[in-house]
Amino acid sequence: MSKPMIRIHNTKTNEIIDREMNDVEFSQYQIRQTEDEQRKAEIEAKAQAKAALLAQLGITEEQAKLLLS
Amino acid sequence: MTKARDLANGATALSAVSATELAYLDGVTSAVQTQIDGKQAANANVSTTELGYLDGVTSAIQTQLDAKIPKTLTTTTGDIIYASSANTPARLGIGSTSQVLTVSGGVPTWATPAGGGITLLSTTTLSGASTTISISATSYTNLLIFIYGVTVNANGSDILLQPNGSSTSTNFNKLHQYAASCDVESGQSTNYRTGSVYQTGGLNAFTYTIYNINSSTYKNFTVQGVYQDDSNRQASENGGGGIKDTNAITSLTIAAAAGSHGAGTVKIYGVK
Repeated sequence: MSKPMIRIHNTKTNEIIDREMNDVEFSQYQIRQTEDEQRKAEIEAKAQAKAALLAQLGITEEQAKLLLS
Repeated sequence: MTKARDLANGATALSAVSATELAYLDGVTSAVQTQIDGKQAANANVSTTELGYLDGVTSAIQTQLDAKIPKTLTTTTGDIIYASSANTPARLGIGSTSQVLTVSGGVPTWATPAGGGITLLSTTTLSGASTTISISATSYTNLLIFIYGVTVNANGSDILLQPNGSSTSTNFNKLHQYAASCDVESGQSTNYRTGSVYQTGGLNAFTYTIYNINSSTYKNFTVQGVYQDDSNRQASENGGGGIKDTNAITSLTIAAAAGSHGAGTVKIYGVK
């Protein structure tokens, strides 16, 4: 399986290299993706918890904002 | 007596004039010399048209010519004529490429412009999962980085800004706004994450400023951005923090947190 491509731009020589990630870069890339998924899951969980709390209180999001303003 | 003497003298003078010559006076109605003086001097080299050019002349022509700047004062393409003092024309040779006309000692001169406040260092097109740009900006104090037209092939991918490689940590605070809502976030990571951008949107633009890039202490940075978020809402972002690196900033990696960049341009400016 091929690894994702990356670009390296040497601005001194204006040389541009497009190549596959090496093992270290690919490892970091996978960590990034995992972090990204975790972050999105946290945001989704937070949104669900917020919706659940609003339902429990029996108020809308706009009413909640009004209360907090 | 006088008349008699005149006649005697005239007879002597007339003896040298023939009757034919005297006949040339036939028909003369006024003084011959006056008439001759009234005629134009015959000169084969000057035409009537040329003489006509004198019409309207009001003073000595040579004096007027002497008052003019000779065209031979300029000798080279690009020469400029200026006054080195009152009524004293002088030649100023063309400067070198990129030089600008300025004033020194009260006269114009070509000079290399002093280092401007802002200089474009590089332009890079984003490609792949990440793009790393080397930065050579030792003579600049700050970096102003425009990142625009950014697209990703995975919806909701953050755009990561990572100076000096993955081992450098960044502390950050940021605020995302969309419609009437906003999110705040703070933390420390190996990079600064922008908001999640919409997959097909190309209306994503960020300004990333790094201050005191050559200092031996941590650097401050700010990020301002506007983009379409992962729900295709118009969103904006304000963030900032510190780059925990005591080395000068010599590279910047811009990566898609997920997938790859479809497009995007990065312009890096050095600011004195």
